[in-house]
Amino acid sequence: MRVELENLTKRWGDAIGADGVNLEVDHGEFVAFLGPSGCGKTTTLLMIAGIYKPTAGVIRFDGQVVNKLAPKDRNIGMVFQSYALYPHMNVFQNISYPLKLKKVPQEEMRKRVERVAEMMGIGHLLDRKPAQLSGGQQQRVALGRALVKEPQLLLFDEPLSNLDARLRLSMRSEIKRLQLDLGITSIYVTHDQVEAMTMADRIAVMKDGKVQAYDRPEELYDRPRTLFIAGFIGNPPMNFVDVEVVQVDNTFHARRQGLDLPLPADRGEKAAQDRPVIMGIRPEDVSIADEGIAGEVYVVEPLGRDDLVDVQINGAHLRVLADPALNLRIGDQVKLKINTDKVQFFDPQTELSLLWN
Amino acid sequence: MSSPQQSDPVTPSGQKAVLVGHGLALVGAVMALVGFYLPWLGFVGGRGLVATLSGARIGAGPVIRLGENVVVFRGSPTSYLVVVAAVIALLVVGLAFRRRRLTGWDGLTLITAGLLPLLVLWGQFGAAQREAGKVGILIQTQYGLVLVYLALLAVFAAGILHVRNYSRQNPSFRNTLGAYAFMSPATFLVLVFFLIPVVLLAVLSLTDLSSANFGEPWNFIGLENYRRMFSDRFFPKILGNTIFYVVTTLVFFNVGLALVLALLTAHINRRASFFFRLIWLLPRITPSVVYIVMWKRFTQVPPYGIINQFAGWLGIDYQPYWLNEAPWVFVILVNGFVGASFGMIIFTSAIEAIPKDLITAAKVDGASTLQVIRDITLPMLRWPLLFVTTYQTLSLLVSFEYILLLTQGGPGLYTTEVWALTAYKRALFTYFGSNQWAYGAAWGFVLVAIGIVLSIIYLRVFQFDQLVQEPKIDVL
Repeated sequence: MRVELENLTKRWGDAIGADGVNLEVDHGEFVAFLGPSGCGKTTTLLMIAGIYKPTAGVIRFDGQVVNKLAPKDRNIGMVFQSYALYPHMNVFQNISYPLKLKKVPQEEMRKRVERVAEMMGIGHLLDRKPAQLSGGQQQRVALGRALVKEPQLLLFDEPLSNLDARLRLSMRSEIKRLQLDLGITSIYVTHDQVEAMTMADRIAVMKDGKVQAYDRPEELYDRPRTLFIAGFIGNPPMNFVDVEVVQVDNTFHARRQGLDLPLPADRGEKAAQDRPVIMGIRPEDVSIADEGIAGEVYVVEPLGRDDLVDVQINGAHLRVLADPALNLRIGDQVKLKINTDKVQFFDPQTELSLLWN
Repeated sequence: MSSPQQSDPVTPSGQKAVLVGHGLALVGAVMALVGFYLPWLGFVGGRGLVATLSGARIGAGPVIRLGENVVVFRGSPTSYLVVVAAVIALLVVGLAFRRRRLTGWDGLTLITAGLLPLLVLWGQFGAAQREAGKVGILIQTQYGLVLVYLALLAVFAAGILHVRNYSRQNPSFRNTLGAYAFMSPATFLVLVFFLIPVVLLAVLSLTDLSSANFGEPWNFIGLENYRRMFSDRFFPKILGNTIFYVVTTLVFFNVGLALVLALLTAHINRRASFFFRLIWLLPRITPSVVYIVMWKRFTQVPPYGIINQFAGWLGIDYQPYWLNEAPWVFVILVNGFVGASFGMIIFTSAIEAIPKDLITAAKVDGASTLQVIRDITLPMLRWPLLFVTTYQTLSLLVSFEYILLLTQGGPGLYTTEVWALTAYKRALFTYFGSNQWAYGAAWGFVLVAIGIVLSIIYLRVFQFDQLVQEPKIDVL
């Protein structure tokens, strides 16, 4: 099913939930709404589900306006962070509830529930109550309940946030695989950029009720259009340094005390302003080298495969991913090499990218 | 691995304290026995024992008078407590000596054995002294009593000393003690305001105490009061009235209307729902008498009655005193309007406590509002429903004040008279100036018994034990 949101807005008095959200989700696409808490992603999701009535704007399913349609008539499945299993019903009753409401015959209902339960690997738990299940099992039941009525649209509201880290990893790939196999259009709300990056075909980055960007994950990662997106996407997060970009002879240089970085011509030209700008550089694009910018190790955080090293350069801090074999210690003097093909520049006032707008 | 020192936690100084405690308890127990029997054993003019064996009935009080000016402290039921306490104290200490150590529980037992009779006797001592003052006191009696006091104090002190000492050395016992300390206020309330009164009620119902023989010793007459009650000509009527009143009010108002109100107010605008709940609370916060006067006015004959005024405007000529015309309707309305607000508040908070996600999930699953209420809200209200039904059944069973004020059980003979009202009238309503306390107690006691049986049935029907079931968790 194709979903279109047009200028979708939700207000409660002065409080703004969603503010003019425009986006479309193609048939079979997996879209993530990504943003910090309170950014309006769940509000938008609940409007799509029909729980909230939009203050303004239009929601279209396959071209049909569904603003006035009750949730039960939208043929959607939904999975919640809290799992939202009915505590007084056992697993079978939970999964079969949507079918029961549709008055599906008993025999067919049993078959469909068993098929979904088998698919989710919870076939042996059908007579348990939710309270007797682990978090991962509960989430599978919730997923099964969302899938059993064969919805045209799946809505996920931070479904993995209550699971422990390892389980989250395995459920992540399971959900992605399931979505791909079933080809159901899906919208996935999360504040975890890793989840969004790994699972979604496209990500809508939201802040203060507005969609900041709506694009493919690699686009957002390589060409962030705003400072917020640059800082929100990527782990460990991007480094930001205030610099002045000046033209010396024919090359552009990003400069601040203790730092003078020659820039590629295309980026340098766009970044050159008559005032300071914010330079962004990802930790993986900085490396420890024999030659380069001098700095002092401020903090070392071993991550296992890499060490995340915080290097101080005249008051500015750069996080760098370094080889643990270097065995860096706090206070060590190091030299940094920056991959200038990947640097980003932002206007400090508008917080917009100087490169991609 | 525990060293010998650890297995025996008593330190040298602790050992001393334990010894002192043992000694005090032992001395106390012996003194209690001696002190108690001292007046009995013939010290009082050589007549104590005789007086006890041949004396007046048990239960006459702490003091009786024998002859011109002799006061004997003798065995009233409460003072037997002292003997029991002394025996317990002796047993505890004796057993402790056999196992060569005193546990914390022994200490607690000693405290109770010392304190409880001490408090009881304290009250009695005053009575004994007043009586003694009237007739001149025999010094041995006083000695005996003082000895008993000291003995009980010794037992009590031994207990305190030991518990303090023991709990210092046993953290687990100290924790247990803490748990009991937290439970004690509730236990105290249940004991003082339920268990003891019920026992008193039961005992009272076996006597013939009334305003006619007030002040005389209780005269036990067996189950006569119960025989009289069950063979009362109006007993079936009163029983039927009670069942009708409780069931109707409960089903239609205290649970039914309460649930409807809670569900309605949960589905409308917050501010409006607050306002409606406030309105439904008004009957409860209106003083009973004012509330009943309003209802009486409401049902009066012209030109006072409000119903009849409306009837007049509508051109209806039939304008009776509605309270006499349909007494039950108003008895139930009056109680139901008050009772509904209790359930409404409980249900409202329970409904609001249901996670929003559950409701959203059900709507997305395809449920209409009514289906959400039927499949999600109501099943999740099982515990508050049990609570309100049980609580309100019991409170309706014993409630009679609105009926008393509204109809006095009338009009006519026993038309709206319920069980609790009968109990009240027999025991305390001095229509002919005769209060049949014991007979009223019989009615009251049966009501208590019915209440307890009903609560047990409710707990079974609602499968209370399942509501507190431990979850079984296994890892994925």
